[in-house]
Amino acid sequence: MKRRDFLKRTGILAGASAAGWMPQLAQAAGKPVESMTLLTANASFDPVRPEMGRLITQACKKIGWDVKLAAEDYNMGIGKVFNEKDFDMFIVRWTGRANRIDPETFTAMMHHRDGNYNKWGYNNAQVNELCDAQQVEMDPAKRRDLVLKVQETIFNDAASSPIVYPSMTNAYREDRLQGLVPQVGEGIGSLWSDLSASTKGGDGYIRTGQTSPLKNLNPVSVTDSNEFKELRMIYDRLLQVGPDGGLVPWAATSINAVDSTTVDITLREGMKFHDGVPVTIDDVKFTFDYYKKWKAPFFISSLEKFESVNITGKNSLRIKLTAPHAPLMINFFAQIFILPQHIWKDIPEKVNVDDVLKFANENPVGSGPFKFDYWDRGKELKVSANRDHFNAPKCAGIIRVTYGSHDAMAAAIEAGECDRTRYILKPALVQDLNKINGIVGKGYASHGWYGFMFNHLRGPLQDPVFRAAIDHVVPRDVVQSVVMSGFAEKGGSVIAPANEFWHNSSLKARPSSIKKAREVLEAGGYSWDGSGNLLYPA
Amino acid sequence: MLDYILRRLLYMLITLFAVASILFLLFRMLPGEATMQVISPAMDEAVQKRMKAAFGLDLPLWQQYFVYLKNLVTLEWGRSFVSAQEVTDVIAYRFWNTLLLMASGLCMTLVLGIGCGIWMAWRRNGVFDVAGTVISLIFQAAPPFITGLLLLMVLSYRLGIFPTGGMYPPGQRPDSLFELLLMPAFWERIVLPTLTVGMYYISTPMLVMRDSMLEVLGSDYIELARAKGLPPSKIMFRHAARNALLGVVTLASIMVGFAVGGQVVVESLFSWPGMGQLMVESAAAHDYPVAQGTFLMLAILVIGLNFLTDVLYCYLDPRIKISAQGIT
Repeated sequence: MKRRDFLKRTGILAGASAAGWMPQLAQAAGKPVESMTLLTANASFDPVRPEMGRLITQACKKIGWDVKLAAEDYNMGIGKVFNEKDFDMFIVRWTGRANRIDPETFTAMMHHRDGNYNKWGYNNAQVNELCDAQQVEMDPAKRRDLVLKVQETIFNDAASSPIVYPSMTNAYREDRLQGLVPQVGEGIGSLWSDLSASTKGGDGYIRTGQTSPLKNLNPVSVTDSNEFKELRMIYDRLLQVGPDGGLVPWAATSINAVDSTTVDITLREGMKFHDGVPVTIDDVKFTFDYYKKWKAPFFISSLEKFESVNITGKNSLRIKLTAPHAPLMINFFAQIFILPQHIWKDIPEKVNVDDVLKFANENPVGSGPFKFDYWDRGKELKVSANRDHFNAPKCAGIIRVTYGSHDAMAAAIEAGECDRTRYILKPALVQDLNKINGIVGKGYASHGWYGFMFNHLRGPLQDPVFRAAIDHVVPRDVVQSVVMSGFAEKGGSVIAPANEFWHNSSLKARPSSIKKAREVLEAGGYSWDGSGNLLYPA
Repeated sequence: MLDYILRRLLYMLITLFAVASILFLLFRMLPGEATMQVISPAMDEAVQKRMKAAFGLDLPLWQQYFVYLKNLVTLEWGRSFVSAQEVTDVIAYRFWNTLLLMASGLCMTLVLGIGCGIWMAWRRNGVFDVAGTVISLIFQAAPPFITGLLLLMVLSYRLGIFPTGGMYPPGQRPDSLFELLLMPAFWERIVLPTLTVGMYYISTPMLVMRDSMLEVLGSDYIELARAKGLPPSKIMFRHAARNALLGVVTLASIMVGFAVGGQVVVESLFSWPGMGQLMVESAAAHDYPVAQGTFLMLAILVIGLNFLTDVLYCYLDPRIKISAQGIT
């Protein structure tokens, strides 16, 4: 079979990306495929990634390709990829953040030519077109069709290689807590657990452990999922992402798309801020205006699509958009925090700073289900139940404690000092804890994934045939069973099966097989020299 | 004396200026963007620019340097890029936490170390001397994360005698330092980190004291004191130990500096929110204002303590005189 026939059969030439790499590949014809480097975070940041990297580099050697592993400080690695764009390949964990339940992140942001995450130079005309189309398609069913197609194209092009879909590994004290409600991507660290769980005794507070310290309490400057998770207890949002990933009305009783560029919002009646002042539609409008005025980092790209915001009734307002934008529901309305106008209208002037991003907001007042008690930086955050809230928590409050390491947090759970984990706990520790009476250690469904990412502008990685072969090389079975201790599923599409509505279930992980990888390479015109080194197509 | 103190103060200021300038350059030479931890590099370039402008990182380096120097002089150390809190508030809180931990650790180290050192020299080559030397060297060779982990495993996880970490039980933050010190739970929590710090540092004052004592015990005036028939305890403490103490005093000031900045591992292990952790967190997060502040604070501490030690020398050792040229 000729190379072009092979490409056509495998669907790799379906997109327009193929055109660009052909001449460059011709220049290297018959030469040995150059050695490359696989970048990962080091074990102190995430013990799993260097292990995966080691397995992949060893497997690459079996197809005659030399790949070196570079396990570096996480921040340095991020800098190399996103700022300097100086990398060959890297392993990353795309966490199952609530807003990533919308397909925007894993399709357009990562694979569109102009996507913010796309620092790896991926450019496929068909993917670009489909990504653009799904963004403006306001009908969920029609948008889903487009998202399924774009997943398929990305998969066929082997644009990125999802290694595994890891579970959200959590642990909790079964003898202390009841009524926990896991959420897709967040496990039992979810807001729904904060609201529904109660203690079986004691003071009623749920002691929640996390290894990364809380950085900030400013709802305008927030960008990190750690801070979103805590601020959402104190501040209300218009919508919330529900346990199954669907949208749940919250401070807004309804958000209706009148047409593709007009959105009507109706605010719930009877809500109050923690200082007793009623929440009004003016506060909602003020929030939009304030975030826009101060160019709030996380929200500014959504707010730039707002043409106007007008109050249309006692509890309603209308938003006119400059263009349709489907991801707005989850990425904006289910994320933005309603600010009390009577407090924020004087900020930053009143607090002697020139920019709201420099405001520490050390005593946050919101209208959310929990009232702020205190934040001891580096140690703990304490919030107590707001009994006047329309969805009042069943517990007395949440105490978020920062632990120095995963081991320290696991020990605290074992000792009964911590009731549950908020975020990921190392899989091996979850297994150990699960053996102890009164403790449950478990993996919960997540739409995040560990990705093996390629620089599409370098060497053989420009070639979709090569990338597809490399995808076969990834030893997913070993990663799943050994590295992840079974708390993972094998990766295929860039949208995980846990994200049921958007996932393309027809896309299965490419089988891990060196033999198959060699066959793909051979069919694509690659060959090997006498020493077994991989050579470019002649 | 006054001339000497003023001159030393001037040297201190020059040294601090040099340290501050080096710190400024050092953190900016680190690879990676300053705003990387605060804002995802995957976000719009415009957003990143916005963030840099908010914290003055869009200015040329020399302008940033002059703003930094001006702020240092006016004691305006800026705000954390990460939490937006004032640097002085952030450091003050963490500094006290570390000081509590280090004060207990170093008190234990110095009291036990000096006491044992005196006794070991007095009973040279005895069982206590040999055993003390070996054990203290083992403690020094064992990194704190090993001793700390062992203490945790045995005394906390297995036997459940002490809590696993933190400064107070979750949700029971005291309103003041005084209230914290009155909490039995705080004292339960400080035992294991204190033991870890103490075990690691004890060999230094113990062995230095032992060696100084041995040197002093061979002196003529000790022989004379013995010949005069003075009681052994008086010779040991009043004549020998007091003179042998000079070396340990110098050492103690250096130890305090190291102890404040060097306890990252102990603080991480016992979830103790202190200066060591803050230094690592802020340097890793490129949080320049906090990182510069913590390291500068450490420099002030070490340089200030050295200065105090020099002055203290004059009182401890009457043989030392201050002339216009300094100490002779």
